[in-house]
Amino acid sequence: MHAAIEVKDLEFSYGDIKAVDGVSVEVAKGEILGFLGPNGAGKSTTIKMLTGQLRPDAGSISVLGMTMPEQTVDIQARIGVCFEEKNVYENMSGRENLDFFARLYGIKHKDFDPFLRNVGLIDRADDRVSTYSKGMRQRLMMTRAMINDPEILFLDEPTDGLDPVSARAVRAVIKSEAERGAAVILTTHDMNEADQLSDRVAFINEGRIAALDTPENLKLKHGQRSVRIRSRSGGGVEEQVIALDDAGAGDQIRRAVDVEGLMTIHTEEATLENIFIELTGRGLDA
Amino acid sequence: MTAPAQVPSRLSIIATIVQKDFKAFTRDRLYLFLSILGLVAYVAIFWMLPNTVDETVTIGATGAGVQELLARATGEDEAAGLDVVAFDSRETLVTAVEEGDDDVALGLAFPDDFFASVAAGRPTTVTVVATAEVPAELRSAMESFVREAAFAIAGSPLPVEFQEEILGVDRVGNQVTLREQFRPLLAFLVLLIEMLSLAGLLASEMQSRTVTAVITTPARLSDFLTAKVVFGASLAFGQVVLLLLAIRSLDQQPVLLLTFLLLGSLMVTAFALVAGSYGKDFISVLFTSLIFLIPMMIPAFSLLFPGSASSWVQAIPTYGLVQGIVEVTSYGAGWADSLSNLGMVAGWTVVAFVFGLGTLRRKVHSL
Repeated sequence: MHAAIEVKDLEFSYGDIKAVDGVSVEVAKGEILGFLGPNGAGKSTTIKMLTGQLRPDAGSISVLGMTMPEQTVDIQARIGVCFEEKNVYENMSGRENLDFFARLYGIKHKDFDPFLRNVGLIDRADDRVSTYSKGMRQRLMMTRAMINDPEILFLDEPTDGLDPVSARAVRAVIKSEAERGAAVILTTHDMNEADQLSDRVAFINEGRIAALDTPENLKLKHGQRSVRIRSRSGGGVEEQVIALDDAGAGDQIRRAVDVEGLMTIHTEEATLENIFIELTGRGLDA
Repeated sequence: MTAPAQVPSRLSIIATIVQKDFKAFTRDRLYLFLSILGLVAYVAIFWMLPNTVDETVTIGATGAGVQELLARATGEDEAAGLDVVAFDSRETLVTAVEEGDDDVALGLAFPDDFFASVAAGRPTTVTVVATAEVPAELRSAMESFVREAAFAIAGSPLPVEFQEEILGVDRVGNQVTLREQFRPLLAFLVLLIEMLSLAGLLASEMQSRTVTAVITTPARLSDFLTAKVVFGASLAFGQVVLLLLAIRSLDQQPVLLLTFLLLGSLMVTAFALVAGSYGKDFISVLFTSLIFLIPMMIPAFSLLFPGSASSWVQAIPTYGLVQGIVEVTSYGAGWADSLSNLGMVAGWTVVAFVFGLGTLRRKVHSL
């Protein structure tokens, strides 16, 4: 049984600038891989190579048991891509956009209503896209990425610009696509989203994968679990942070809570962003 | 998981993109308006232009003492529409005839010893300098007029010889009307407007990056480019054929003429690929297109001023196209006469495509 995606020692340069430098990763069917990194880290270039837009300088790409670039068109017939840019045809309606792209996959006369209903666009399906809001365009692009029932989904900032309700709907769609068996590569700046959705996350920095593991494991390996206890003390507020991995943490916690004026107790764990900064020395927004 | 769709054929993909482009074109009000308005306006302009040749000719003359003689003679011939302008030297006369200064279309360069030679009964030579559109009959009339002047001076017929210097291509007996002169220019303008439309559509695909969405489906970049070429050339070709039908210009050698127009449509499509690669919105597309439009229109404009085209104009890619259309529509040229023009247009079209496709491919890869 092949992994959905197998990438080995991938390299790509723009002139003298090495954008991707030896990236290796495997993604299983039904897995959601969060692809995290700041601008210019090499995420987009890697995705462009995996979707057949760029040819790697070195390394190998196997998608669904087929190799790139030899079988690029066959691979592209079985993947779906949702871009960060809202690249939809403005002079056409939402339904016409879907029909055009479906025909490029050889799909004719498909009923798009279930897709459109799923993302809340059914009532505006026949309106021109130029009249859509940013969030509606994003949802249309998500729908477009799924019209060929793809076995792999590449999603670049899929909830960017969406209101919380729409974002939740899109996340539910992503989850259901993974449950259907599609491998999902999710590029996002939203650490909470990556944490909630991803089975594993890959931190990419300066063209290399700095870490690749489940969010839980990364937090366990690189973060510190702690309890933050706040209580009133002599007219002020006292705050204690107790590391759970320290010896005697249990006794410390018992003592801290056994006081008058106890206000709040919070468990805390490292965020993916903190871990990224710790591993790479730079923030995700850099 | 459903079974994956069969990858469609290249032809089917190209047809789908062309169909989408046509839909996008018909929904872009600006380009649609420009196309329809242009077509209607050009047809109207063509039929409003005079279909007659202006027979009034201004004569330039140089030579000691001949101006008075000519002024008296032409004064008697006012009904014939003759007018005389004097020049200091033969060089200024030739320049004036060549460039159409003072509307001088024909010049008579008398030798300085004309009067002395005629009076002494010695043979003398007068040079007739004329632009291409001056009728041979008028040149003959001028020669007769000079012979009469010589007769008046000497009192007997004298051996005055004439040497003709024709500037530009000699169209003796084949002068074209202003309407006919405008025909290739109008056809060319239609092609260029369609170039603008295609460049606008391409710029929009680049700017919105819809091209990236297309080429991550089973559609290859080559399918996308082929579809643009097919759509652009069909659009330009369709419009220019409509124009020529409306101005009744497909009567002579229709297949040959359509071949020229098809090559012309392909050539402007190639220019549109370049303009569309660099354009970002209507203004920048217009600006980028103008870089091509202005030089490309020179051969068509030079037809309005016969004899004014310098030799460098022949190096402009559209020269063969314009010249070919003129020779077929106005002078009834056939395939054999048009081979060099066809070769020139085909060659430049290939060059333009290599450049246009390369530019667009680089642009798409840079997105």
